[in-house]
Order: sequence, then structure tokens, then C-alpha cells
Amino acid sequence: MKEHEDKYMTEHNDREIRDALKQSFPPVNTELRRDLWPDVLRKLDVRPVAVPWYDWALAGLSAVMFLAFPRLVLVFAYHL
Amino acid sequence: MDLLQRFTHGEIDAFETLARQFQGDIYAWIVRIVRDPGTAEDLTVETLWRVYRARHRFRPDGNFGAWARRIATNLAIDHLRRNRPEQSFPTEPAGVPQPDPLVQRETRERIQQAFRRLPAKLQVAATLALVEELPYDEIASALGTSVGAVKLRVFRAVRILRKRLSHAGITPE
Repeated sequence: MKEHEDKYMTEHNDREIRDALKQSFPPVNTELRRDLWPDVLRKLDVRPVAVPWYDWALAGLSAVMFLAFPRLVLVFAYHL
Repeated sequence: MDLLQRFTHGEIDAFETLARQFQGDIYAWIVRIVRDPGTAEDLTVETLWRVYRARHRFRPDGNFGAWARRIATNLAIDHLRRNRPEQSFPTEPAGVPQPDPLVQRETRERIQQAFRRLPAKLQVAATLALVEELPYDEIASALGTSVGAVKLRVFRAVRILRKRLSHAGITPE
């Protein structure tokens, strides 16, 4: 009997929560107002290629090395 | 070669046809979750962009709409996670009668606030199941999980919400 009452109360509370949520969140208009294709196309065109941070770090380190030890350029060029 | 095959090969014309065909469905799905038209438009564009970038992973015999919807759901969850309010509301004595319309409006706002503080995955499951009253299998498919897992998320969302509202002295009408 107690179990039945508990179940009834839980269902009652759930219904209350559901009703409260439905009142708090009015229905939204799900119709799309405009064509989004131009925005998608723009995003496809302008999105820059992401360069990982370690590539930038490697490039920076190389630049510093070449400035500090210019002869390294020759060694580097030899191994290319 | 059919449309989906051409899309997986990166043909922009095929993608345009698919994007125009599915943008309305994707938008409708996202706006139900985020409840804001501007945000939903931005996330729809982002979804389509990601769909195009992930085209190699799509099997041409698969369901394009379901695949796009899953990507959209993940983006919406990320959005809710990033925009989750941190601040909690002050507590009040429980059981206070609220006949005044202004108080009722405030109550609704506080319920919204409490709901938006739920973990994003619980929030999405509860929005789609309780507010939008969509079938559990449809929600499960979009979330990439089982019906049982969706029911559990809804149950947890309701339990947390009930506790928080009770703690704040808010009695749902």
C-alpha cells in the first residue's frame, strides 16, 4: 500500500514538474525564417586552415636558431 | 552516381542540394533545444559546415538526416554547456502561496533558471521529452544512445529540478 502511495506521489510530482516546465518554456517557432546556404558557403570559403601550435613553435624555434647560428642554414639546406 | 555519393566525394553542388533540403529540419531540431532563433540559425550553419567537413565519414547508404541531426545535437549540447548559468538563486521559505501574476511570472523565470543549470545532457533529454514531448526513440537516436539511457537522464533531470525548486521554496503550479 505504502509502495503504491509512493509511486502515485512520484508520478504526481513528475506531472507537476512537466506542467511547470511546459508553462515556463512556451512553444518555439520551428520554421526557418531565411535560407542559410549563403552563410554556409561563406563559412566554407573563409574558414582559415588551422595550424597546430607545435608547428608555430617549430617555426619559431627554427627562426631563432637561424638568426643565432646563420651557418646552420647551410647544414639545413644540405640535408634537404 | 547518386546525390549522397556525390556529396561524399566533395561535390559542392550535391552538398548545396542536401543543405537546402535539410536546413529546415536541422534548424527545427536545434531551436527546440536552445529555444533561441538566432542561436539556432548560427548552430545550423555550424552543423552544415561540420557535415561537409565530415563527409568522408558518411556512408552513402546511411540516413543523412539522422546523421546531421546527431551532429546538430552534439553542437547544441556544447552550446548549452558553454552558456550554463553558474549563479544559483536565493532560497525562500517553502509553501508560500503565489496568486499574483507577477509572482507567477517570476516563478516561471526561476524554473527556467533552475532548468538551465542542469547538466547539458540532462537538459537536452528533459527538454525534448517533457517540454517538446517527442518520442523517446527519436530522442535516443539523436543523442546516439539507448531509450533506457534517455529515460534515466529525464528521471535524473526531474529529480534534480524537483530538489532545487523545493530548496528554493518554489512550488510548481
